[in-house]
Amino acid sequence: MGGDNPAEKALILHRARLSDPNFIFAHFSHSPDTNYSKLKFIIASSVTEACNNSVLLLGPRGCGKLAVLELVLDDLLKEYPDMITTIKLNGLLHSDDKCALKEIARQLCAEHQLSFSKLASFDDNNQFMIDILRECGLAHKTVIFVLDEFDLFAQGKQRLLYSLLDAMQSVSSQAVVVGISCRLDADQLLEKRVRSRFSHRKLLFLPPSKEDLQGLIKHMLLLPTDSNIPEDYTTEFNARLLKLLEDGRCRDIIDTLSTSDSTFNHLIRFLFIAVCHMDMKLGFLTLENFKAALAGVQRQPKLECLKDCSVLELYVLVCMMRLELREQESYNFNTIMKEYSSIHDTFQTSDYFARNVCLRAFEHLLQRELISLVDSRGHTQSVEYHPVKLLISAHELHLGLKSYRCCPAILQKIVDRG
Amino acid sequence: MSKDKTPQTTRRTTRLSASSPSLTNAVSTTSHSLTLRDLVFGGEILNADDLFSSLPGRRGVILELIRLLGPLNSKMIPLFLYGGISTGKTTTVLQIFRHLKRPFVYVSCRTCYSPRILFETILNQLLLHRKNEGNGYSSAKRCEKPADFVNHLRDALVNVINGLKEKTERSSSKKSVKWVKGNMIYLIIDNLEFVRDWDKSLSILPFLYKLYDLLKMPELGLIFISSASPDTYYSDTGYEEPIPLYFSDYTEEDLRQIFLRNQLNPKLYASFLDVVLKPFSRVTRRVDEISTAFSQLFKIYCEPLQDQTVVPNEEMKRRLFSHLQPHIAPSLNETFRVPSLCSENTANKDTFKRKVSGNKLGVPDISEEIDFHMSVCAKYLLISAFLASRNPATLDASLFDSTGGAATRKRKRKASEKSMEQKDIADQELLMKGPGTFPLERLLAIFQCITSVAEYSLEEEELGNGGSGGGAGDVGLMSDVLLQLSSLCSANFISKGSSCPLEGSTRYRCTVDENMVLKVARSMKFPLSKYLYRN
Repeated sequence: MGGDNPAEKALILHRARLSDPNFIFAHFSHSPDTNYSKLKFIIASSVTEACNNSVLLLGPRGCGKLAVLELVLDDLLKEYPDMITTIKLNGLLHSDDKCALKEIARQLCAEHQLSFSKLASFDDNNQFMIDILRECGLAHKTVIFVLDEFDLFAQGKQRLLYSLLDAMQSVSSQAVVVGISCRLDADQLLEKRVRSRFSHRKLLFLPPSKEDLQGLIKHMLLLPTDSNIPEDYTTEFNARLLKLLEDGRCRDIIDTLSTSDSTFNHLIRFLFIAVCHMDMKLGFLTLENFKAALAGVQRQPKLECLKDCSVLELYVLVCMMRLELREQESYNFNTIMKEYSSIHDTFQTSDYFARNVCLRAFEHLLQRELISLVDSRGHTQSVEYHPVKLLISAHELHLGLKSYRCCPAILQKIVDRG
Repeated sequence: MSKDKTPQTTRRTTRLSASSPSLTNAVSTTSHSLTLRDLVFGGEILNADDLFSSLPGRRGVILELIRLLGPLNSKMIPLFLYGGISTGKTTTVLQIFRHLKRPFVYVSCRTCYSPRILFETILNQLLLHRKNEGNGYSSAKRCEKPADFVNHLRDALVNVINGLKEKTERSSSKKSVKWVKGNMIYLIIDNLEFVRDWDKSLSILPFLYKLYDLLKMPELGLIFISSASPDTYYSDTGYEEPIPLYFSDYTEEDLRQIFLRNQLNPKLYASFLDVVLKPFSRVTRRVDEISTAFSQLFKIYCEPLQDQTVVPNEEMKRRLFSHLQPHIAPSLNETFRVPSLCSENTANKDTFKRKVSGNKLGVPDISEEIDFHMSVCAKYLLISAFLASRNPATLDASLFDSTGGAATRKRKRKASEKSMEQKDIADQELLMKGPGTFPLERLLAIFQCITSVAEYSLEEEELGNGGSGGGAGDVGLMSDVLLQLSSLCSANFISKGSSCPLEGSTRYRCTVDENMVLKVARSMKFPLSKYLYRN
């Protein structure tokens, strides 16, 4: 079972690397003038100089805000053991102030081997936090609060942010608040009393540039020479990979990938699928793997959905498209049926079905979410009378009909004309 | 359903009862405690060939999924499986896990209809806890908030993974039969599309997507299954998308293979499919709908045969086809529904037979009778509600006056172009608006008009009408009518709208379609068309 085949070992290694969100960012940790070094400087200075600090990490999703922070914290923990306590909160979990303070108390208790009381009130926990902060400050220990999804903490009354930042105003405490958000206006969401206590340090995280991509892929996929994988396999794998990355077609694939979405996460997903497609018997990555991965990452759900529609469902869609092209402001199933029968009258199609069958097809389309009800609230009527709208464009429908396996010629004609 | 039975059972009975044989034969074992073994499919080993043959038309997807799941103990990024309804998403995943023998936890957001139930169900399975009489059917951990859930889940996962690691070490030393492979645990969350309708969907969905990053446990594999495509999940600030994998609908060829499975006489069924599959797949390709339609049709198809095990030759095929042909078109135009009398079937066999024989004679789908009981009063009430909804209120006087209404109406003016246009617009509006609303007073007025007419023509109806004859009876009638009205409302034949802001009274609307009312009117011998205004 696993282990005999070097390719399988390599695959397991690759998958472990790719599913670890921090690994990819280790690539940047050595070069200066990156967010990594800036962030490290900020936190390290407040650890060594015993001061309070706060910073916001902003940038789109999947650009490694949290991952870089964790790398920094790991490094600092090695440099200054026993001087740092990290408290991690997430806006998705702890946006409620009470719940957040409880979690802070819980993590502080776990850190300092104290017993945690579930029944403690908001004020108890608040007082506890302030006390601990003071104690830590006296012992020259830094408490680092990581607030992921920072924008969600800014909902409501912001009591947590206020009490946290207010506690940091005293000289005796020694804490850093790191907010992470994908909303670039996150600091504008703060109330005045909170904002005035917040240092407006911001670090912007951006997706990698095209030049970086090649380096990142090499960083992710080249096998290390010091692993338990046989050495001759490793050298051949790496040589083949480098040759492949030089290939123009491979560069094209990576270019297409980065034009649609050039974040780190997107790249990781792409590489993950590529690695999964690696042929175990061959044992090396090929161009086909990258092609398959590109197809796997860039999906067009609406077109896929159109391909799955039955002929009758296509008729309904085409009827709706005709109604929309005529700029009819709202229409429902009855109007569509009228259009359907008029198409039948003019073209004498063989696909003419009863009203209830069409209604079923109509409901299928609703389930497929190719069409939707306009404002489904407040209607007591049955579905036939609901106004509906198309969720696909005329162009998409056109493409869909073209790629449909045996699309009736009439539908094609109607859409071409319209 | 003629679809293969095995995946069906796995889905319905879930792993807990399907896997452990000790459970099925000893239901009384309340003290039976769950072990790690219950996180894996028990029973016979499903090899790769069986896996492919049990799921026709899914070979490509299965290979892809196995590739993404990877070899033993390999980490993975969350997956998102999506595809239309009844394309075998759940079945495929569960069968693959049966084949791989890896531990997993399966929850469906259809049955776990709130965050709390979802969280507790996951934890119960991981903590090997079963609700029973002993613990008062309570969950192992009570948790409502995502924050608590993450903490509990982390603890539970660490326990389970440690247990698995121990097991694998022990079993590798003993060389015993492995019932579980690897020390990864997979969490499968099915029917994710339902979460969108939950109250807190805006926070729960991003939370579920982010679960993998929150836990930071590489030993956990997350698999989402949804019938809605990933682009239909909206979120304010977005989320990190899992790897998508698409299950396409079955093609015609796939459908043929699916229906040919588990058939007693495949040759005969194949010849049947040759005839029916093509027209039906133009309407829908959903297995569940087609199979209900086919089961009826196949019975008809087999009727001329004495022996259902014969291998049909060309001549017989032609004969059977000519026998079936008249039935195809009507059944195409029927919605593929389970017969509505299904529940009554067991109690009332002969009515069912009559219905079937009616179908045999080639009678179109509209059966002549309404298949439930309604009192005479309710029938009249329904008719009057229908009339009140369809007719414009201004015409009531001319339709229902004592001289006999509609016949006297005449149109003298020639329709000018403008009026034609107006009529078009009015038509359009009628199509859009649907049946109109009406106040209670109008309904009662129409009701009294038509019952009085009916009393003149049919005197025996008087008895059925309860309190008729004389002024004193009218009061009784009124209370009876109101009772009937409320029962019609609760049967959803008439919908009660909000009160009109101007008049302040409640307005009603008839939601029944014309066919139904025609049936009712026919059963009363009521001349409906005479009173119905058609423009």
